[in-house]
Amino acid sequence: MLFTSKNQHVSLKKIVILITVIAFSLLITTVSAQEDVSCYHCHTQVVSEFRNNIHYQKGFSCDDCHGGKAQPNTTVISYTVMSGDFIGRPTRSNITNICSKCHSQEAKDYKMSIHWEQIAKGHPEAATCTDCHGIHEIRAISDPNSSSNHQNSPATCAKCHSNKELMSAWYYGIKTDRFDTYKESFHWKALKKGYALVATCSDCHGNHNIKPHEDPKSSTYPDNLPKTCGKNNCHPDVQFDAKIAAGLVHDKESLHTGELVFNKTGMNPQMKDYFIGPFDLAYWIAFFFKILTTGVIAVFAGMVFLDFLSRVKIHRRW
Amino acid sequence: MARQKLVEVSDSKAGDGTMGEIYFKRFTFNQLAQHWIMIGTFMLLVVSGMPLKFPDAWWSPVIINFLGGFEMRTQIHHAAGVGMVLLGIYHVVYHVFVDKDSLLDRKVWPTLKDAKDFWQTIFYYLGKAEHPKFGRYSWKEKFDYWGAFWGMVMLCITGLIMLFPFKAMELIPYAYVHLATIVHTDEALLATLFIFIVHWWNVHYSPEVFPMSKAWITGTLSEEQMKHEHPLEYEEIMRQMQERDERLS
Repeated sequence: MLFTSKNQHVSLKKIVILITVIAFSLLITTVSAQEDVSCYHCHTQVVSEFRNNIHYQKGFSCDDCHGGKAQPNTTVISYTVMSGDFIGRPTRSNITNICSKCHSQEAKDYKMSIHWEQIAKGHPEAATCTDCHGIHEIRAISDPNSSSNHQNSPATCAKCHSNKELMSAWYYGIKTDRFDTYKESFHWKALKKGYALVATCSDCHGNHNIKPHEDPKSSTYPDNLPKTCGKNNCHPDVQFDAKIAAGLVHDKESLHTGELVFNKTGMNPQMKDYFIGPFDLAYWIAFFFKILTTGVIAVFAGMVFLDFLSRVKIHRRW
Repeated sequence: MARQKLVEVSDSKAGDGTMGEIYFKRFTFNQLAQHWIMIGTFMLLVVSGMPLKFPDAWWSPVIINFLGGFEMRTQIHHAAGVGMVLLGIYHVVYHVFVDKDSLLDRKVWPTLKDAKDFWQTIFYYLGKAEHPKFGRYSWKEKFDYWGAFWGMVMLCITGLIMLFPFKAMELIPYAYVHLATIVHTDEALLATLFIFIVHWWNVHYSPEVFPMSKAWITGTLSEEQMKHEHPLEYEEIMRQMQERDERLS
């Protein structure tokens, strides 16, 4: 009696476990039967991101970038996945090679850029394909959610270019106020209000073959600026000379500290234009208006207030 | 200012046998029309301009959407701006070249009396003095006029620079176009604050005229208002009328 009851108990436990296992297997099979992307069971997050990827919509799968043999609709870990040319997580300097398998022209352009120059020099934190286009969530350029969409260009570039730690590394020494200074421009103010036609980073600086402005081949090299600003869909009918085009696009209040500068040797010629004698007009004009506005409004609002008080006291004035 | 009829006798209330109320003509139709155009363009410019002066404010996108988007905002601002520039040119040309009165005789020039009146007004508000007696234009009105005049000059010049930046840069460096944006927006803010606080107090909010002084529509003041607000002008007109009556009789 005692034994049978114990046996019965064990067999019940076994049955429950058996049913659970079967149910789980069925569930996975059912779920994975609807999965057209392999690797989903373990790399769920990554695959969810990949579903927004333009490559997914065009029928590519994990192994096209990561190598190996991915098998959809598998319920067990496939040993063949990691076989052959499987590369897993590519190194930063290797990412370009993977993309260039298809995007050969873009990769060729990119290899002329300052970014690749730095990677080739052994600084892998310089921007590579995925930094601008996304990793698993690569969207089409025309997609407004794409990080390389025209209007998202400022935020995307700022990820690195506003990062003080990254930019102040001894071998870069690049200014980190580029996004902040761009925000002072009409371009940004219009962009933020939904006027998407204005210039963002890549319109002036280029994209794949981006070069520093000291490079004579760069689109932002002073001599090339008239052509860059006068591009067909930007300011086409304008006669630019280099002097006009080389205005301080990256300008902001904090550049104009009002400090008196008597010796202006070595100063940027565009910056020099702001000065009359040692006075930076951008600062002192703003200062003048601060005093004027505060003064005039304080005096007259004060009188309005006194007028009001006097009326409270004196019912009829005259 | 062209010679104006000094007194207009309204007959609107006539018919009960008594003489109608006397109205004093203060502004010609020309002046009124200039003010109306000024109001229209100024309000459009403020509404379409301030969202760009304060691009991070919560109301900035609200107003821009209300105006029909950023491009429309720009179109409105440019159109109203050109309107205001034309108004400014018309004003100067008319009152300097067309109006035959000697420039020096205009009552709008600031005088020493205005400075005295300014202090006396403050002392009056503090209860220490009589209210000053104003002539044709009080010091407040003169300040309004010259403030608007200076503002128009600054805003129109800098506005045209910003409307044609590339033409302007053939004459001036890029830096000055940037400086024009500083002058333009700061001056605009000053003008807006002054109009909304001080000018509107004087002509709208003040209990004396609330909800508004109708002079900007009719161009006239009643005899009672005239005695209150411009007693010296009133006395002068009465004296002239008396002289004329004596000459005629």
